[in-house]
Amino acid sequence: MKFLIWLSALVSLSLPVSAFESEPQKTIPPETADVWLARLSKSLQSLNFSTSFVVVKNNHADPYHWFHGVNEDDGELEILSLLNGPRRDILRKNNVVSYIEPELPPYSIYSKVVSSPIPSILSGDIQDLTESYNFVSVGKSRVLGRSAQIVRIVPKDQHKYGHWLWLDQQSGFLLKLAIVTKKGQQLEQIQFTHLDITEQPAESLRQLDATELPKVIDIPEGYQNQQLSWQVNWLPHGFKQLSANRHRIVSTKQPVEFALFGDGLVDVSVYVMPSKEQQRSADYVLDGATVALNQVVNGLEVSVVGKIPSQTAKQIADSVSLLPR
Amino acid sequence: MSESKFETVSSLVDNYQNSDEVFDEIIKDNHMSETWQRYHLIGDTMRDELPPSLDLDLTDRINNAIAEEPTVLAPKAKPSAGEFVKAKVVQFAKPFGQMAIAASAAGLMVIGVQQNVAKDESFIPDPVVQTAPLGGIAQPVSLNFQSGNRQSQEQAMVEQQRRFQVLLQDHKQQIKFAALATKDAQNNKSKQKDSNTNK
Repeated sequence: MKFLIWLSALVSLSLPVSAFESEPQKTIPPETADVWLARLSKSLQSLNFSTSFVVVKNNHADPYHWFHGVNEDDGELEILSLLNGPRRDILRKNNVVSYIEPELPPYSIYSKVVSSPIPSILSGDIQDLTESYNFVSVGKSRVLGRSAQIVRIVPKDQHKYGHWLWLDQQSGFLLKLAIVTKKGQQLEQIQFTHLDITEQPAESLRQLDATELPKVIDIPEGYQNQQLSWQVNWLPHGFKQLSANRHRIVSTKQPVEFALFGDGLVDVSVYVMPSKEQQRSADYVLDGATVALNQVVNGLEVSVVGKIPSQTAKQIADSVSLLPR
Repeated sequence: MSESKFETVSSLVDNYQNSDEVFDEIIKDNHMSETWQRYHLIGDTMRDELPPSLDLDLTDRINNAIAEEPTVLAPKAKPSAGEFVKAKVVQFAKPFGQMAIAASAAGLMVIGVQQNVAKDESFIPDPVVQTAPLGGIAQPVSLNFQSGNRQSQEQAMVEQQRRFQVLLQDHKQQIKFAALATKDAQNNKSKQKDSNTNK
């Protein structure tokens, strides 16, 4: 008798549980991190949105407002404004991007990429990162009053930082982003504070569509691909040279030889110039996740700037060698 | 007692007396300064000098803004060849730039900053020096000195700080210019294999 009661109790218990377990699996297949990131990319390209976010680094916070929309001709429109301090606006009409900044007169360049605190790869093809990063879907959380899916972009080696993303379960939109060390310490955060997804592009975007942008500047052919008198002999896995040029630094007019490297997610600049000093040991500053490292070896000043750990920056700086003439 | 205080405020507003001590007292006392503000408002109303819209929290907001503002040497406005275009774009860009930040944004900023400060202490073992930016629109950064030389440190620090600000600024600029090249590189990536020598 007792046994029967037990049995019936077990059956009655297990039935609803198993039914409960199998049901969500049928309706919502478990989505992989790749699927989430593809959704994010699509939402950043195709949605009409008006949103605000705050970039928090060190003990400093910068608020931004960001509009994005798609016009009747499927052209993307975008406005990104820094709300504190001197005006910094980025305007984009499909493949023309204009920068309005205090340092330079307004200018435009042909590009589909807006240089903003949000890595441009997130609206591009995320599969470009698979060479040096793994994508991991880790769970759910609540961000901006919405239920969010957490996806981590984890570097395959210890020379890079990881990026953690919180994505809106409904729209796939980005709600929060953190740049995180291997030990899980957050160096920099982008927290969205407001998000409006609308049917039609915002009024300001329609105004932008009707506005003439500043003149597109000519970047001479070959300017970004010059032969430098030195080379970098070590880079973290997946980094490629994006640009190499000689230019004068805007604020000091100092001439430098410059190369830019990137792995799709982060960019690293290397500067080389002659120095008055013979030797100076390496110093660095941290601006959120961005490190700026500087050292003088044998009268040659080498600086490395980028969102990489300081050890990586040091290793890159140490690997610079002059090419034989 | 308090009645006479208000009388003092009143006579000050009306320019009947003028003593620094009384002013100091009013500034220290929240209640009194509110009264001071209110009396002026009443005066303005009676003289019909009110602005079209009233912002009573202006002083608080200005105070907060000053307290939060890092000392920044404003960059000189550069005369530009594209002045005409600039005017056009700026005029267009103004309406949404002036949009107020949502209250939620302000709240989150405060929370975010506090968390970040607390974490800073735990994860940066090196001494962290908050330095004043020296020029341009650079942001304060933390400086980690690895060298042990403490003598001419201050001057070296100032120079080093300037160097870093310049580098951070130029880095951002170069990323923008390289956006074109980035695109080309991405297009070619299928053909190009990693040419960098890895360790």
